Amino acid sequence: MSEAATDKGNLFPLLAKAAPLLLAVIAVAFIPAAHPSPNIIRLMFVTLVWVTTSVAWNLIGGFAGQVSFGFAVFYGLGAYTTAITYSTGVDRFDSILLGACAAMLASLLVGLPTFRLKGPYFAIATIGVSEAVRVIMTNLGFTGGASGYRIMERGPFNQLLHYYIALALAATAIALSMLVRYSKFGLALLAIREDEEAASDLGVNPFRTKLLAHALAAALTGAAGGVFVGYAAFIYPQGVFGFDISVAILLMPIIGGLGTVWGPPIGAAVYGFVHEELIASFPQFHLLLFGSLLILIILFEPAGVMGLAYKVVGLFRRRK
Amino acid sequence: MNTVDFLNLLISAILLAGVYAAMSVGMTIIYGVMKIVNLAHAGFLMLGAYFVFELYERLHVDPLLGAVLAFPVFYFVGIAVYWSMVRRIPRSDQPTLPSLLLLFGLWLVLQNLGYMIWGNADRAILTPRTFSTLQVGQLIFPTVRLVVFGVAVASLVALDFVMHRTWRGRAVRALMQNSDAGRIVGVNVDKTARIAFGVGIAFAGTAGGLLAMMYSFTPDFGGSFLLRSFVIIVLGGLESFSGVAIGALILALVESFSILVIPSGYQPAVSFSLLVVALVVLPNGVAGLWNKRQRLT
Repeated sequence: MSEAATDKGNLFPLLAKAAPLLLAVIAVAFIPAAHPSPNIIRLMFVTLVWVTTSVAWNLIGGFAGQVSFGFAVFYGLGAYTTAITYSTGVDRFDSILLGACAAMLASLLVGLPTFRLKGPYFAIATIGVSEAVRVIMTNLGFTGGASGYRIMERGPFNQLLHYYIALALAATAIALSMLVRYSKFGLALLAIREDEEAASDLGVNPFRTKLLAHALAAALTGAAGGVFVGYAAFIYPQGVFGFDISVAILLMPIIGGLGTVWGPPIGAAVYGFVHEELIASFPQFHLLLFGSLLILIILFEPAGVMGLAYKVVGLFRRRK
Repeated sequence: MNTVDFLNLLISAILLAGVYAAMSVGMTIIYGVMKIVNLAHAGFLMLGAYFVFELYERLHVDPLLGAVLAFPVFYFVGIAVYWSMVRRIPRSDQPTLPSLLLLFGLWLVLQNLGYMIWGNADRAILTPRTFSTLQVGQLIFPTVRLVVFGVAVASLVALDFVMHRTWRGRAVRALMQNSDAGRIVGVNVDKTARIAFGVGIAFAGTAGGLLAMMYSFTPDFGGSFLLRSFVIIVLGGLESFSGVAIGALILALVESFSILVIPSGYQPAVSFSLLVVALVVLPNGVAGLWNKRQRLT
């Protein structure tokens, strides 16, 4: 009884928190109505995919504080699973779902042996798994090996269809991230990040909680890979399993602000547009810039864009 | 496979283990004292390789001497990195998110500076020693590997001496075991951490130079060795020097003999599988097994 009452009490603040999401989704949904160039739509589509992966990484990296360097594994597995199942005749939506499931299963491979242990084992294993998976996919026969895999497209290509799928997925990811952040599960994740032993003493099962958050993050990342491949129609191991994909996925939430709901989407938006310019002007050295950016953020503004924003707001409040 | 082939493979595995141990010991020191996983290790291995390469190409310094010279040079590089970055992040007795991300960023920077300076062409250090061998009966000892093994083992013996016979070395070991207790008995944590970081990077530089004599390299050179170093220190229990030696031997043996059954394209998967097996079976490493045995008896 009392639990239901508190739920009702929380309903209004939760709606207030969801309002920015609704407004953002409506705004982004009406952008195509202004008839921008297809290139802008493509850029928006890619950014929405990045929003999803960025929010996903933040679930385990930001909320639970477990750094993963291997999210390209989930992205790539999702992309390949979707591509292969879609080509064999599975419905588009179901194939993306299958991609998410494949990524979720892969997350157990890293999570099961490492989340039981304290220490840096998880981060170490994620570097290993991305190396290993990329090597296997490059040598595997039925996916086309290093030369890649082409989707059998059914019907004409509709750019806006992909755009709205990506938008729906990104909105789902942000809504999930909100639900997690303001639920008991999310509080358990934050407790693990701050002090795993203390959290465990207070009745949180760190192993199960981390495993669940990791699986959720993997599923979202796999779905993002699946959405991306529907648009790209062609994938190759270096493109989706590449080290730079893992780096990009972890960099975006850090740019935006770790452990917040709105930091990762902001980081993805910043990254999506800046990256496009950088790739055009320095195709070789974007990883050098990413690395320098990572060092600078960690040393000078660990809370990212959100931290900066709060500082600026704080400055204005003090003026008054 | 006959006995001679088996023995030759065994010899090459043991010779490989020497340089693997020298390569991983730097990570162990840094992890032990500061609980920081040095992801930039790969970058310093690569820089060590190019350091020796440039000395040989431009000044005709023997690569062996080059690798020895790399030690003091990279020691000061390590001190500089510690002073400018590492000391600014919060200290902890657990590996923290900022420390992982900072050193990861440093790795990206070093690797891509490497691409900027040297391009992505394969380089190799070729000396008269490279292709010569020493034959004892039917057993074959590649000269380069023997020499590299000699340097690696000598550096490890020297490290062992410093760790056990000097005050600073004992301070490092004290912090590895219990940093609070170390502080109470008067160890200067900041200075010791700085020296430990320098020595860790110095070992990475020298090991990079040694590896460069055996393999060709590109700026991406360190990545696969980083993964191998992880496997070795996890097998060794993260902060034990003898554990590193045993871990290096296990990895070298597994890699050498797995070539017989697993195609060489899948080699990185071999190290990763060994890592997962080690985490499941021996979470505290071989040294943990040893301690448990001792406690039981």
